Amino acid sequence: MSADAASPPIGRGTTKSDLATPRSSHRLSRVVVYAVLLLGWQALSTFVFPPYVLPSPLLVLQEMADIVASGLFWKHFLTTIIRLFIGFAIACVLGTAIGIAMGRSEYWREFFGDYIMLTLTTPGLVFALICAMVFGLSPLGPIVAIILTSMPHVTVNVHEGVRAIPRDLLDMAKVYEVPPAARLRHVLIPAVAPYLFTAVRYGFAIAWKITALTELFGSAAGVGFQIRTEYLVFSMRGVLAWALFLVVFAIIIERFVLMRIERDFFRWRRQAFA
Amino acid sequence: MYSTLRAPRAPAGSSGLVRLLTSPRAARLTAPLLILVAWQLVAPLIGSRLLPMPIEVVEEVGVLALEGTIWSAFGTSLMRLAVGLGLALLVGAPLGLLLGVSSRAEAFAHDFIVIGLTFPYLIWGILVSMWFGFGDVGPILVVFIAAVPYVMVNTAEGVRDVSRDLLDMARSYNVSRPHVLRHLVIPSLSPFFFAALRYGLANGWKGLVLAEVFAATSGAGWEIAGMRDIGNAAGVVVYALYFATFSILVERLVFGRLSAWVFRWRPRQPGAARATAS
Repeated sequence: MSADAASPPIGRGTTKSDLATPRSSHRLSRVVVYAVLLLGWQALSTFVFPPYVLPSPLLVLQEMADIVASGLFWKHFLTTIIRLFIGFAIACVLGTAIGIAMGRSEYWREFFGDYIMLTLTTPGLVFALICAMVFGLSPLGPIVAIILTSMPHVTVNVHEGVRAIPRDLLDMAKVYEVPPAARLRHVLIPAVAPYLFTAVRYGFAIAWKITALTELFGSAAGVGFQIRTEYLVFSMRGVLAWALFLVVFAIIIERFVLMRIERDFFRWRRQAFA
Repeated sequence: MYSTLRAPRAPAGSSGLVRLLTSPRAARLTAPLLILVAWQLVAPLIGSRLLPMPIEVVEEVGVLALEGTIWSAFGTSLMRLAVGLGLALLVGAPLGLLLGVSSRAEAFAHDFIVIGLTFPYLIWGILVSMWFGFGDVGPILVVFIAAVPYVMVNTAEGVRDVSRDLLDMARSYNVSRPHVLRHLVIPSLSPFFFAALRYGLANGWKGLVLAEVFAATSGAGWEIAGMRDIGNAAGVVVYALYFATFSILVERLVFGRLSAWVFRWRPRQPGAARATAS
């Protein structure tokens, strides 16, 4: 029960990964969407809000250029990215291990079930505050926060993948005495892989957001730290510029890198079903 | 290769106690107990100003409960959550219906939804604090922004899921409109409505507490951040525990019981489990 509690008990919730795969690639409509967004932003900043409340897109772009030119960008952006990758790598490894353990044994399912349910539903703010408090300004704070919050997303999906392995295949592998290495390579990995990709995408979406959040509360460097600095001097230009660096980076990773890897990995599938 | 992953199994002939301790049922208690022990051991190393001892937290629970701030904080937050979620349902459901019928509208909305989901709640929180100052409007708007994509997408899915054959049959047998609505459309929409509510609630809540840090002077999010600002480590942990309790209540009671009741007519099926998105 406890493991299921982390996931909707009711049939088909539409989740972010479903949203991330366009039903049809309307290239034109995409251009229109971005144009509407930019124009809307521009209109809001010229007609509704004064520039110190909502700076126009051009002002923010200018600010981004200034930040890159000043050299601050590389220092803080790289700090954040390094933390993000260390934390997320650990989360993926631990999350996969726990997910497999949960998929194979009821004991571990019960053991981790409540923790997973809690971390999936508790706001990231809580983890960010506690990590910032306990670890102070050290880089451990963001890293631990990333692990705590993104690992459950990896675990839940891997767990689901392990449970989805066809029983027949496992039984057959046992009957024909397939060696463990081959079983891993030809049964376990192909069955879990799609779930693992979903896991990584979910986990990553959580991870970069919690990195910035934790840095905001307890760090002396990084994008989150810069966002707070700019917020404290009420520079919305600065806040938006730093936020956009991170958002653009995340979109590039999620939509181009992760999706491309996923597509390459599942080449065999398209060929098999073409 | 899995043998090492299996639960430590009691050797044959061992006492009932060992079997009890290694049973899955006990595992649920073992996990929090281990955390408690680890906490008790680690806390003195870090210093109680940063990580309070469990006993200090227990004391603080009493202090805060007597003060009453926790109740009013969560009450305020829940009201904002309810208003924001209500608005998201009111606006999101009709839009979702539209997306469900028109593929052009769907293609157009898709990117807005993805962009909306990518933008961190942290930034929305800061933005609304600049736009609307400190109060209820900002946090409610963030709840709305966080919840509305889930409402739209799930409603659209539900509309697409209404069985065409059954609709055709209803038409040819001249089934009245209210009957079609009651016995065909609503039952097939309701799981999606529940998914919308669930994801909307989970994400609205996460967005809300973050927005309260920046754009409010009351509410659970504001209180926990305030506890940290004044250096009350025990207070932060107490609030964290309340957040956790709230999650359990919502998960177990609201969604467990309620959805079990609404879907009591359904045969039990293994639900496809997916993590809730951010």
